Amino acid sequence: MRHRLVGTVAFAVAALPALAQDFAGQTLVVGTWGGDIERLLRTHVAEPLEAETGARVEFLLGGSSDRMAKLYAERDNPTMDVTFQNIYEAPQLLADGLVVAPDPESPAFKAIWEGMNEGCYAMSLVGLGIAYNKQLFPEPPEWADLWKPDYHGRIAMAPYPSSESDGFLAVAARLAGADEHDPDAAFSKLAELGPPALTYTSLDEIFALMDAGEVAAAPMISGYVLSSLADWENIGFVFPTDPGPVLVRDMVCQVANSPNPELARMFIERAVGVETQTAYAEELMFGPTNSSVTLSGEAATGTINTPEEVATLVQLDWPWLIEQRPEWTERWNREILGQ
Amino acid sequence: MRSPREAGGGTSLSPTLSLLFIAPAAILVLAAFGLPFLLLLALSLASPVEGSLVPDMSNPTLAAYSRILGDGFYLRTLATTLAMSLATAAGCLALALPLAHWLARRAGRARRVLTAIVLLPLACGALLPTLGLVHLLGPLGVVNGTLRGLGLIASPLPLLGTQLGIVIGLIQAFLPFAVLPILAVLDRTPPVIEEAAITLGATPARLWVRIILPLAWPGLLAGGLLVFCSALTAFVTPQIVGQGKVATFAMLAYQQALQVLDWPFASALAVTMLAALALAAVVTFSLARLRP
Repeated sequence: MRHRLVGTVAFAVAALPALAQDFAGQTLVVGTWGGDIERLLRTHVAEPLEAETGARVEFLLGGSSDRMAKLYAERDNPTMDVTFQNIYEAPQLLADGLVVAPDPESPAFKAIWEGMNEGCYAMSLVGLGIAYNKQLFPEPPEWADLWKPDYHGRIAMAPYPSSESDGFLAVAARLAGADEHDPDAAFSKLAELGPPALTYTSLDEIFALMDAGEVAAAPMISGYVLSSLADWENIGFVFPTDPGPVLVRDMVCQVANSPNPELARMFIERAVGVETQTAYAEELMFGPTNSSVTLSGEAATGTINTPEEVATLVQLDWPWLIEQRPEWTERWNREILGQ
Repeated sequence: MRSPREAGGGTSLSPTLSLLFIAPAAILVLAAFGLPFLLLLALSLASPVEGSLVPDMSNPTLAAYSRILGDGFYLRTLATTLAMSLATAAGCLALALPLAHWLARRAGRARRVLTAIVLLPLACGALLPTLGLVHLLGPLGVVNGTLRGLGLIASPLPLLGTQLGIVIGLIQAFLPFAVLPILAVLDRTPPVIEEAAITLGATPARLWVRIILPLAWPGLLAGGLLVFCSALTAFVTPQIVGQGKVATFAMLAYQQALQVLDWPFASALAVTMLAALALAAVVTFSLARLRP
């Protein structure tokens, strides 16, 4: 009996590496944001992948612009295999040949709503809406309400460049009767708000000031904001309707000429898979891009998760915006910050 | 009779051996500073490629420099950054001279502990003290809260996001750079000189202007230069205390390098900053001859 047990254990131990032998000893390097995103990716993607393949997954944490700079600096000899980027970065990376174009035949591509995979695979859908102080705005505001004289100089903004600020410029242009292709209209309308009350880089900072009424409102991206609002009774978040919220996407990219292309593809398949996408929606209020995900309750109402909802969102001409970036950064420095 | 060399107790090294000893440091400086600097210089001359973020190094151009020098915005930002750095250096020296003098002459047994406290900002790095300042200077912070509580102000003073706030933050961060050189110089001058001046009837004002200031002059210059250079290239404090609202040269370089990814322009901004640093060093060396 005891003999049999020892034999079974020995067999199991011997079989373990056999199952995972294909990728044992390899390390997949994934660049992403820290905090909740890393936690969810570790639980739902990295750990199952490690168990399945025997490879190790290493996360490189930081902001997406740091990763972008790293990709360009390492372009001849990349060390990252997978990188998470913003929608305004992905098409540029593809244009410079630093990421692998999304493969229309791959299961990941097919799982995602049509038209979403620009440059890389679409990972999550969030919208640019308005976070506001509920005492200053008894009713959820529309975009145009931010331009009322009472709030002059009291609107906080994200730094430029960012999805938030490109989106806010596009909204300003629409309020002025144009769109993002008319930068003069966008910048002069936005400058009417006065200098930003704060250039926000952290949620705690802006929410503390918004809670106290020092900041009246700010254009912010759903997702994190929605999942943090529980701690701030005095702060609300709304998706305005005129124009609708601006659609923003996080993208997951396979780095070109990376050391572990096959593992990278497997990671991406899991990242856009139903399990991870559902966890993203339920825990972070990030809308799924995978069309097979069905949500219920709070996650269903808080996230953008149906094609109909996507249709009401403002979609920006990102490739065009990316080309304007150097010039718009200068204009932002001068005309918005330098007021 | 013993030769001076023997009197010093040292043995001379052969030239080959001394070269061998300085080689590691020389290689380090060359590899960690010289080569990257040349790369920076080359990159600042690269030309941008339409529709791509990969610069073309084969086609050198001075376009990035003419963009900086031909544009009021960048020149104004440079002037603002220089002015804030000068204000920081002046503020640090004004605080450091009496502090260093007190430490050198009067602190007595407490000197070690007090010097350690003065040096604390260096040990903490820039980030922690700066985040602390945000809590002090913010609209909901200690300073505004106290003034509001006392009924002295109706709405909070804008300390964050202003040049004044940044200068306060920089003075806090770089004060040790000013205290240390002054302290070192004062330690080397015997206190009897000051005592003699007092015995001979010098007023306190005269003592400071005619005795202490000239004695501390080399320390003031060294400290001033260190603080000025650190403030000119500082990034963390202007970014956090300035809340992204006050443009400085270092912030523009960061923005171009890491957010816009226009590396030629970012390099040109960095080279311009280095030129300003070199100029500051030249000015300081010429001031050294003007000892009061």
